[in-house]
Formats: sequence, C-alpha cells, structure tokens
Amino acid sequence: MLYPEQMSRLLITGTKDQMGKVIAELHRRRLFHIEDFVGQEEYDGFKIGMPLEGATEASVDLLKIRGAATAFGVEGGASPPARRVSSGELRRQLETELPELDAQADEMVTRRNRLENRARELETRIAELEPFTAFPVDLDHFRGYESLAVFTGRVPADVAIEAPHEKEYAGGRKGGFLAVFTPKEHRDAVERQLQEAGFAPVALPAESGPAGDAIARYRAELADVKKELETIDRQLHGLKEIHSSFLLAADELLSADVEQAEAPLRFAVTDLAFVAEGWVPTEAVSEITASLEEATGEKVHVETLPVDYENDQVPVEFQNPDFAHPTEMFMDVYSRPDYREIDPTLLVSIVFPIFFGIILGDVGYGLILLAISLMLRRFLMTDGWKQFLDNMRNASISAIVFGVLYSEFLGFALPWDPVIFSRHLNIGGGAHGHGPDAASLLIVAIWIGILHITLGRIISLINHARMDHGTHRTKAMIAQTGWIAFMWGLLLVIWSIFPIPLMFDLTRIGDVVALGMRPFGIIGIALILYGMIAIGQENALELVEAPTVISHVLSYARLVAVGLSSVAIAMVVNYISIGMMIEPALKNLTPVAIVLVIVGIVVFLIGHALNTALGILGGGLHSIRLHYVEFFTKFYKGGGLKYNPFGMKRQYTTEE
Amino acid sequence: MVDVSTAVMTVEMIEASQAGLKAVGAGLAVGLTGVGTGIAEMSIGAAAVGATAENRDLFGLALIFTVIPETIVIFGLVVAMLLLF
Repeated sequence: MLYPEQMSRLLITGTKDQMGKVIAELHRRRLFHIEDFVGQEEYDGFKIGMPLEGATEASVDLLKIRGAATAFGVEGGASPPARRVSSGELRRQLETELPELDAQADEMVTRRNRLENRARELETRIAELEPFTAFPVDLDHFRGYESLAVFTGRVPADVAIEAPHEKEYAGGRKGGFLAVFTPKEHRDAVERQLQEAGFAPVALPAESGPAGDAIARYRAELADVKKELETIDRQLHGLKEIHSSFLLAADELLSADVEQAEAPLRFAVTDLAFVAEGWVPTEAVSEITASLEEATGEKVHVETLPVDYENDQVPVEFQNPDFAHPTEMFMDVYSRPDYREIDPTLLVSIVFPIFFGIILGDVGYGLILLAISLMLRRFLMTDGWKQFLDNMRNASISAIVFGVLYSEFLGFALPWDPVIFSRHLNIGGGAHGHGPDAASLLIVAIWIGILHITLGRIISLINHARMDHGTHRTKAMIAQTGWIAFMWGLLLVIWSIFPIPLMFDLTRIGDVVALGMRPFGIIGIALILYGMIAIGQENALELVEAPTVISHVLSYARLVAVGLSSVAIAMVVNYISIGMMIEPALKNLTPVAIVLVIVGIVVFLIGHALNTALGILGGGLHSIRLHYVEFFTKFYKGGGLKYNPFGMKRQYTTEE
Repeated sequence: MVDVSTAVMTVEMIEASQAGLKAVGAGLAVGLTGVGTGIAEMSIGAAAVGATAENRDLFGLALIFTVIPETIVIFGLVVAMLLLF
C-alpha cells in the first residue's frame, strides 16, 4: 500500500518465427513494460530487430485514415462509443472502403483548397480595385501614353503641384486618392513634390473598363465561390457524421498494428532468434508466462531475471486503495516515486482534503464546489480531469464537514455554536461576540506542522534504512534523528520558557538548574546539541538549513491565515450586500429601494462567486504546496520511471 | 484642577490610538513582507517557469526554489497575528 507495485524483470527468448505471436500476445495482455534494446554489452552479437511484415502498409493506411479524419474534422476522445466493432469486420471494411474514402477525402480537400485560393485571390483583386472606384473612367485611360507620365496613389491631403499637370483628387476621411497626369519631361519634378507631400503610390490593376464594373464582376464570382465552399463544408460535415465511428475505429486498429509491427525495433535479435527484456508486475508473471507459452505452443522461453536495484530503472506503478487513486495525479505532477521509496500517495490522499477543509471550512462553499465537481464529472471524461474532479469532490466534502464544525455557511453562522474553534470575525456595525479564536487556531496549525514534519522525517529514516548501504546509510539515518531531535529540543526549550495555551506548559516543572533553564529546558538544549552534531556528521553544510525547521513549521500557519481571510471576505460581502443595501431598503420600500435590493443581490452573488474561486485557489494550492514543499522535501526523492506497458486501451474495437 | 472625566476620556483616546497603531503595525508587517517576498520570487519564478517548460521533471524542484522566499511573508503574517490577537 505504501509502496509501488512489485515488479519482476522478465526475459523472453524464442525463435524469430514466434516473434509475431509473442508480440500480439503481449500487446493484448498490456502488462509488459519493454526495456528498449540499445546495444547493451551483455548482448554481444545481437542487433536491433527489423519491423514485422506489413509495417509499411499499415503505416501508409494509417496516414490515409488520419488524413481523411483531419479532412472531415473527426475528433476522438469525446465520449466512448456505444458499440465496439470487431477487428475482423473492420479489416474487411478497410480493404473495400479505404481506397474510395481516401480518394474522396483527397478530392474534397483539393477542391476546397482550390476554392479557398480563388476566394483569396478575388478578395485581393477587389481590394486593389477599390481606390479606383473614385474615378468613374475606364482604367485603360490611366496607361499607354507616349508623352504622359501617370501617378496614382494615396496622399494625406490634396497637393498643389507646381508643374504643368492634370490632377484628379478624391478626398476621404483618412486622406485621399490622387491621379496625376504630367508631360514626361516634368515627371521628376512632380514625383519629388508628391513624395514631399507623403504620396504612397498604388499600382494600377491589370483590368480594363471602369473599376466599379470590375468589382461588381468579382463580387459576384466571390459570392459563387463562397456558396460552393459552404456546400463542400456541408458535404464534409455529412461525411463526418457517416464515417466518424469507422475512422476512429480504423485509426485505433491500425495504430495497434503499427505499434506491434514496430515492436521488434525494441528487441535484440540474431539471425534466427530474438530476446525481449522488460518488466511485469510480479503477481502477473505466471499469468503472462502461461499465456505466452500457450500462444506459441511452448516454443518460447520465459525467465525471471534477478533485479539489480542500483543500476536497473524499475518502472513504477502505483498501488493504492481506490479512494487514493485520484491523488496519484498530484504525485505525477511532482514526480513519480522511486521504486524502493515509500509512496506517500495514501498519506496525501488523507491529509490533503483535511487541510483543504481546515482552510475553506464552510458548508455553503463546500456544497457549491461539490455540485461543480459532480456536474463537470459528466462532461469532462479524460483521465486527468476525472482525477482532478475526484480530488475536488473529496476536498469539498471535507470542507462541508469542517464547515459544520466551524458553524459557517457562506460567512453566516449556522444555528449552533462552533464545535471547534470559532472563525467568526466582528465585521459590520452591529457585530458583537468574542471574535475568532485566532491564537488557538494558530497553535493548532503549528501543532499540525510539527507532527506532519516529524512524520516526514520518520519516513525519511525508513527510506534511508531501506535504500542506502554501508556507512552512508548509518550517517544518513543518524542525521534524520538529528533533525527530529533538533526540532523537539527547540520546542522543549520554548515550552520551558513561555507558557503557551494548548501546548505543554513546562515552565513550572522543577527548579532552575543551570543557564537559567528548568530541567526540560536543559533536556531541550541537549537535544539541540545532539541534533546539530548528528546533522553535521553527515554533511556540515546541512547545518545552514537549521533555521528552516522554524520557517517550515510556521509555514503551516497559512492553514489558519488563508482560511480567516476567506471568512473575512465572505463576511464583508454579506455585510455590504445585506447589512448596507438590502436590509435598510426593505424597511422603506420605495422604487429606489427596489433598485438597491437588486444591486445588493448582484453584489452578493458576484462577491461569493469570487470568493468561491479564491477558495479553490487558496484551499487547494496552499494545501498541496504544504505537501510539496514542507512535507516532501523531508524524504521524497521521486524520479521514478512511469510503468508504461506495451499495448493499448481499446475504445472502439474488440480484440481479434 | 483636572477634571476626572477629561482624564477618563484621555485614557480612552490613548487606548483607541494604541489599538489603531497595532492594526497599522500588523498591516505593515504583512504588506511589507509580502512586497519583499514578491520581489524575491519574481526572478526565481521566471527562471523556474522557463526551466519547467524545457523539462517537465524539474517541476518539483522549481516549485521548491520558487517558494523559498515565502518564509519572509510567513514571518510577517505570524507577527501580524501576534499583534492583533
């Protein structure tokens, strides 16, 4: 439970003619994590295998299927299909339908592209012609002169030209359009003057006849093209409806084919034999051995190899009770556990919702979050989302429980007094009461920190005992006891100097012995000294880290601080919306008062929506951060290899 | 001759201003340490995001580096709470 699934290293050998059968069987079982052959030393004389027969054909077909799927806009993964197709049937269908489907998709895409290009071209033409609509003359009049130079282009404002010329100007809001005709000998002078006026030349479109006529012609053609494009899109959509399930199923089938056909690239082979190395969960070894022998008629040899934990990268698969599965997401975000260390998923799955509840602790917000998580669970079907929403569900249930204990509902008090500590603040004019038990809550948070961190150090002690060897192991273990001693020594010293509510009061036990300390204080100092020596003997530099003992423990104060701030926001929202707007308005119902009531309701809704969002962020992020930073840094190494068995989860097709 | 009621009022005023100054102090403690933490986390955070974008495995380490300066604001928070309650 606290460790990952136990793995065994398996070696499969056989003659090459059995390779296909072995691969098919492994793919079907989905248990074998292949260790890639990269020319390891012990495999002298072996080389990397060649893909199975049919790999190229399957790849080509897969490309065609994916091309058609892209053309029709088919997307998988939305929801699992109602019925799974049998692979044999699908193969027959592929042989008859794929060429036709491919040709159809190809033709449609080509036609669509051609039309799109034409539409773009027409739009450019129209844009080019547009300025010339200012002059309702044949465009041919702008060119073809022997003695005249013609300038056409945009200017910010009308220009006065000091040279013999003929000018047409059409003004607009953003500058105007200008056409200037001038004898060739004055060309340079006119050009210079135009440039000084900010003239930007516009090339004359290769058209004849008035610009307006040409534009009308092109607009008509563009409309036709667009209509045709729409028809094609409708057809594509229709084809998507028809072929969607076939394409998804074929994609899956062919992907599986390609995966299997390319598996030998990860095996070691000789001319006649092959060797596959990999990992399977220990409890599945006999099952997979039996099934392989059955599939090949006992023509392969399967052997369990000894595991060398120092050098082998053992793939890691979580092994947790059902309720802890969603939390595996948080572990994978951080890093998958190493094969031999304690997997803290179970601890996180219990402690994370509790932290969340302590921070949010409100029946109202808890119910809102619970409703959101249950509702989204129906639409978001991917594994990641499912895990996330399940975590949210657990956390919001915990928030409801703590809300009952704190007696809070959207910042209001429930009809009973807080069972544990009160977080009700004195907000608003008529507020009275003794205020929040902030000091007590703070001390409880510190206690949680002390125990959580001590637990982390104990886990670290166990990890070092299991994973390390020789003197390093002893030193590391002593250092961990040193950290625990250092922290508790510090606590003893503090307790024997200051009486703190909810903590042990050691100030009155015994007389002052030495250094102004009572007996427990002396014990504390001894523990601190031992701790420093124990930490220092492993690595003297670690002593620099000693103050983190204090900062990490105090960091748990956020459990209270973030929670109190969320309560404060809720109460302020209630006070502004109800106390300041709705209540006074209801006393004297005038038209203005009714508007005020509506505004009050809006403020109430927006305020609490905002605070719900803050509640997820504050509660979730701070809880997980306490785990990642304060808890995990004490013991967690991570960096484990994800167990990724060869095979695939079939969604659309059945096995052959 | 000092009026007794004046004296009582003076004491009340002093008490009120003391409470106010405590609140100001608490506010400064959280606010200034928050600014300090923000400035410190600014460059670490940018580098951490960059590193994580290049290599997802660095997320845990990047997060830890990023939140190291948070100690400052936690101390500010604790001081504020001790002042207020």
